Amino acid sequence: MNYPPAKIKKMRELYSKTGEWLRGTGPESDIVISTRIRLARNLANFPFLHRATEGQRKEVERLVREKLKEATLTKDLHYVKLSEVSSVDRLFLMERRLISREHAGGDGERGVAFGKSETISVMVNEEDHLRIQVIRSGFELRDAWKTIDEIDNTLEEKLHYAFSPRFGYLTACPTNVGTGMRASVMMHLPALGLAHHIEKVFNAVGKLGLVVRGIYGEGTQALGDLFQISNQFTLGKSEVEILEIMEGVVPRIAGYERMARKALITENKEQLEDRVWRSYGMLKVARMLSSEEAMHLLSQVRMGVNLGLINDISVETLNELFILTLPAHLQKLEGKEMEASERNVIRASYVRKRLGAFQ
Amino acid sequence: MKCESCNKRHATVHLTEINGNEKRERHLCEECAQSLNNPLVKMPTPADILSSLINQVAPEIGEMSKTTCPACGLSYLEFRSKGRLGCPMDYTAFKKGLVPLLEKMHGASQHIGKVPSRAGKELVVKNEVLQLRKELDKAVEKEDYEKAAKIRDRIFELSASEDKKDEGTVQQDG
Repeated sequence: MNYPPAKIKKMRELYSKTGEWLRGTGPESDIVISTRIRLARNLANFPFLHRATEGQRKEVERLVREKLKEATLTKDLHYVKLSEVSSVDRLFLMERRLISREHAGGDGERGVAFGKSETISVMVNEEDHLRIQVIRSGFELRDAWKTIDEIDNTLEEKLHYAFSPRFGYLTACPTNVGTGMRASVMMHLPALGLAHHIEKVFNAVGKLGLVVRGIYGEGTQALGDLFQISNQFTLGKSEVEILEIMEGVVPRIAGYERMARKALITENKEQLEDRVWRSYGMLKVARMLSSEEAMHLLSQVRMGVNLGLINDISVETLNELFILTLPAHLQKLEGKEMEASERNVIRASYVRKRLGAFQ
Repeated sequence: MKCESCNKRHATVHLTEINGNEKRERHLCEECAQSLNNPLVKMPTPADILSSLINQVAPEIGEMSKTTCPACGLSYLEFRSKGRLGCPMDYTAFKKGLVPLLEKMHGASQHIGKVPSRAGKELVVKNEVLQLRKELDKAVEKEDYEKAAKIRDRIFELSASEDKKDEGTVQQDG
């Protein structure tokens, strides 16, 4: 597909760097990779998307796109029409967490706006007319809420949201109605996984109205010991109340993970060291790496760095590698489309390069 | 076995037609069988199955099944089978069915939280009062009476300003 030159340039800028939320900074960042909040919003005068005609869909897209530009939410807000970019580019944006899996796979007129630092994004015509999202590195719920609340206020001045005093912000799916808010915290929990405690955590969390998902949202697998903890209910509790629940729970899970790591070190130090170093070694010498294997090994090494067992690589680099070794990112780095087997070779070579290993 | 009509899909409908003395067996996929237009072959739609099931468990849905949103034309049963609403008006049109559903889903059916400023100041106040009442309960539960007293005063303050304005009734939904 031929893109206008400006668009190609913009997308290229994205390929070579990663978003700010991968920095590995912020509270609890040894275990909490990132904090994300999203708000679902719909326009009052249009049907929800799955009932909208093609014309209405286009009209919503145009209206929201124009208002987003007027609103100047952030410097360098960039808008991508998803109907105009390739499927690899859409997958790329999904791996980058700027859009959801559904948004990448959907069809029709739809788009995404995001800022240069990739901490803010607005999906247009996903399941709802607008899905506003803010991502921060580390455990930063309050900060993320403050930012997204302001963005929402700014957009609300320009767009007439569907809202009812009884049911709150109205959404296509009743599971999102009310605040329309989903707050999720991405946690790295390798030791709880190793010690088979993860199920207990999930059960306990469920009782508090929180759910655990894989890293790319609903129904996705937990790869690389990465889990997203998010609120299940959106109605009957205020945004801040929901955040308070999470603020109570997430540090406890992080504490539990640290305890499990400590237990592994005191009870089974050699075994843990062996596991971590083998993983590190594998990443440095492997000639083919599947995406899943890379995630798994990176997860072990990340834990090793957090525990001080490995000192010559930063958490930021590992966080980045989690994303940069995903299929669409690799294809973009190489500048061509590749089959899985070819990707596995390129992935291994890229990881070796980044880890400063022998080529 | 492949469907003898389209030769593509798996045959799941097996028919025996009797014409006079002639007996004929047919093996079709669901789609081809549907297109035969035979009343006997007509599959119940998911909505039909759903409504018969639901009628046994929740009789009020039987009543709701006749409801259709005047704005977008979505029927309540379509909503129940797909799980997605058609337009913002559905929340009003299907309110009777939605409230128990939301109660089950969220444990509540009243929004407490952010209110868009264009929805009006009185609503912002109303929601704040609802929120404060919850906090008041929490404070009492924790026996933090000092905090409870403060919250109570704030509720009085807000309610008084509401009464003074004599705003009349706040629209409940829609």
